[in-house]
Amino acid sequence: MATVTTPPRSGTPSPAGTSAGGGRASIARWRDTLLRPRTLVAVAVTVVVGYLALVPLGYLLLTTFTDADGFSLGGFARAYGDPRIGELIGNSLWFAVGSALLSLAVGTALAYFNVRTDVPFKALFFAASIIPLIIPGILYTIAWIFLASPTIGLLNSLLEPVFGPGTFDVFTVWGMIWVEGLHLSPIAFLFMVAAFRSTDPSLEESALMSGATRVQTFRRVTLPLVRPALLSAALIMLVRSLESFEVPALLGLQNGIYVFTSRIYQVLRSFPVDFAGAGALAVGLLAVAALGIWLSNVLSRDHGGGTITGKGFRPRPIDLGRWKPAVGGGILLYFFVTVLAPLLVLLYTALLPYYRPPSAEAFASMSLDNFVAVFNLPTVPTALRNSLLLGGGAATIVMALMAVAAWVVVRSGIPGRQVLDHIAFSPLVIPGLVLGVGIAFVYLRSPLPIYGTLLILLIAYCTRYLPYGMRYAVSGMQTVSAELEESAQVSGAGWWATFRRVLLPLIAPALVAGWVYIFVVSFRELSSSILLYTPGNEVLSISIWELYANARFGELSALGVIMVLILAVLVAVAYKVGARVGLKSD
Amino acid sequence: MSRRSALIGLGAAGLLVLSGCGGAPTSGGPASGEPSAAEAVYTEVTALTGTERRDRLVQLAAEEGNRLSIYTSMNADIADIVVPRFEQEFGIDVELYRADSETILQRTLQEASANFAGADVVETNATEMAIIASEGLTGDYAGEQRDKINEQFRYDGWTPTRFNIFAPAWNTGLVGADLVPRTWEDLADPKYDGILSLEVSDYDWYMTLYTHYQEQGMADADIDRLFADMVQGSKVAKGHSGQVELLSAGEFGVVAASYTYLTEKARAAGAPVDDQPFVEPVVARANGGGLMRSSEHPATAVLFMDWMLADGQGVILENGLTPAVMPDGTDPLAGHEVLPVDVQKLLDEGNEWSARYDEVVRGGEQLPEN
Repeated sequence: MATVTTPPRSGTPSPAGTSAGGGRASIARWRDTLLRPRTLVAVAVTVVVGYLALVPLGYLLLTTFTDADGFSLGGFARAYGDPRIGELIGNSLWFAVGSALLSLAVGTALAYFNVRTDVPFKALFFAASIIPLIIPGILYTIAWIFLASPTIGLLNSLLEPVFGPGTFDVFTVWGMIWVEGLHLSPIAFLFMVAAFRSTDPSLEESALMSGATRVQTFRRVTLPLVRPALLSAALIMLVRSLESFEVPALLGLQNGIYVFTSRIYQVLRSFPVDFAGAGALAVGLLAVAALGIWLSNVLSRDHGGGTITGKGFRPRPIDLGRWKPAVGGGILLYFFVTVLAPLLVLLYTALLPYYRPPSAEAFASMSLDNFVAVFNLPTVPTALRNSLLLGGGAATIVMALMAVAAWVVVRSGIPGRQVLDHIAFSPLVIPGLVLGVGIAFVYLRSPLPIYGTLLILLIAYCTRYLPYGMRYAVSGMQTVSAELEESAQVSGAGWWATFRRVLLPLIAPALVAGWVYIFVVSFRELSSSILLYTPGNEVLSISIWELYANARFGELSALGVIMVLILAVLVAVAYKVGARVGLKSD
Repeated sequence: MSRRSALIGLGAAGLLVLSGCGGAPTSGGPASGEPSAAEAVYTEVTALTGTERRDRLVQLAAEEGNRLSIYTSMNADIADIVVPRFEQEFGIDVELYRADSETILQRTLQEASANFAGADVVETNATEMAIIASEGLTGDYAGEQRDKINEQFRYDGWTPTRFNIFAPAWNTGLVGADLVPRTWEDLADPKYDGILSLEVSDYDWYMTLYTHYQEQGMADADIDRLFADMVQGSKVAKGHSGQVELLSAGEFGVVAASYTYLTEKARAAGAPVDDQPFVEPVVARANGGGLMRSSEHPATAVLFMDWMLADGQGVILENGLTPAVMPDGTDPLAGHEVLPVDVQKLLDEGNEWSARYDEVVRGGEQLPEN
């Protein structure tokens, strides 16, 4: 099916902007260029991605810059005129940078040990990389209150005989950073695993041979090699923590620590809802994100393009030697702290009629009633089916689109391609409610019967998760050297064959990581789901919300435990399938 | 051609976004003016009473296809009992959309602005109902049951179906008899420092109590000091349900303004919490329902409201909520000193009170932690 054409340089200029002398021959040449599969596919994907992202972005900008009388900047005045805004931004940055650094450090270290070394307990990595993602933010945060509150924290009561009361205080900025950082660390882990799998360990081996120490090698060789992924992860993590709501709301407020999102929340609760004010705050985040993408692309460009080259390699695990027990212990500790402890607290809560610190009476009151109640909730079976459909659908559509979009951004050489990158990132900073309202606004007026169906949720999910898909795919693409495509094309392969047979397998680890991430987190999407679902089209996050709103924490925890089990099995299957698709997975 | 079509595609996407953007997204709707078809039905049945009214409604409902769409912020566990009872009694198929009150409001306004007939009945919190009614989206509902509701709560364009009552709640394991609050002012006592919890968005409670003190002749400075003393040493929580869970778990000793139905639910599950006897005056905020002017099943909608305010009230009561009118027709709040949340004031001055409460609650942050 691949039409063989003269081998084009990967940077074929776009037709736009040319006015070179006419003539039938040149028109025909342009037409050939345009009708090439690569151009058509690129254009189609650009249109779809652009459409998905521009609908809410357009709505956001429209409501931000207009009021009843036309153009207005009133939203900015209201949003940033608050005398405390400086303090809010200060707190937000401290919290966001702290969480991003913690999750990056933890995620990167774990990924490195997992992919590159002979660290023990590798089976635990899988659980550690997924379970915090599955546990809804509210539950994860509450589990940490039960663990590390100075008043009722279990860890504190365990440590009290040694260190005195209140060793840990989760209600501080450090506590917030801890919980958010750990909750986000799987994203960094997924990014970095894909990156480490795609880099050539022979470079590190050469460094070691030349006398560099392990630490030097890691710092001077390994880290620079995975810089695109590191930057992508840092960018997502930073924006995510700036936007994070549950952790600041549940942990920060108790001691009066307010952040940016508390303000967005407040603005969205005012009457009439101040979409302009919320939009102005989102536009601020958008500016930060745009700067981040630009920086990330500039820094990745310096990186010199691609570490996967024509030379065959297979990552060989480094022998940790005498460090093995220490690293193994660290892994166990991490697993206990991020996965086991919160999960055990959830299980414990799920078995009790209401939460109380462990005691003989508490254990005596345990039963499976909450699990029974969850299975008896009338909407849960439908919700589970819909969530699986939507999660799988959104993850597949987004990653398929993004594989091509990433090629457009990184390789196509089409002028203005960076715009696509920025547009695809914009849904990340749009508050969920605004995104939902924007989508509802369009499809309420669309002649297509999409409003009130499952399809509108699919559109919302695809839009929401575009940015993640884009970062995963772009960072994967940036590690692949252009010379491989060129060789394929020189050998006569068309664009489509090259893309399918060379590029796709090479970036498969990144695509699978992105797929898993989207699949898992889509189970938690609430703010736009709740606005757009219709009776009969419930999703699991709505059930979670209902249990939360109703103070049914026992059942909520039971549902959390069930979700962890179901998703863990499904993700394990996805990894197996993914491993077969990818070339170098172990 | 392809590239141009890309641009056209993008342009079309943009246009689709821009289309119909005549007004701000929260304005508009099927503006007031001509009575809608649904309103004609509402007017027709207003004159009817008793079985005559019911029979006529049942007949009209059958003509409408025995279908009804309700948007509600009522919690699932109650709605899942209330609605099936109605469905069984009349053989009507109800589509039930549940969400939080802000989302209900957004969805209703969005649909109205696009002339999309989504809900026949909207049932949610007072503020949101008042906004929906003030936008002219609801028709008039009249009937015998509505007339039984406490006069203070008979609003234009919507009718209370249940009350949310704010009252202090405490953990009986942590709080001895000497710490059980008897009045709202008690909460300002330093003995509650470190154990009292306030909720971050309870400005309607704050506004109501503040106004009450003003009416009692207290100077604003004294009222401010009272609330500042409450906040002093308090722990601020987000969300009433999480607050009750943390109260049960012992993280808080006393919650200043808990919803009584949440306290009751926790108590029924065996948690060591209580709110009896209520601290008086109790602060009460109505939740209610309105009949939509755009309804495609108006008679069925009236039938539901009639049933909800009669038999439905019994179901509400059985499930631990406070009905708007007792099944025997009496006032459920009789015997209590009641401060109704002033909905009109909330609508006119809500943002101002919200900002003020925000400031008050933040007073806590100047304190050294613990």
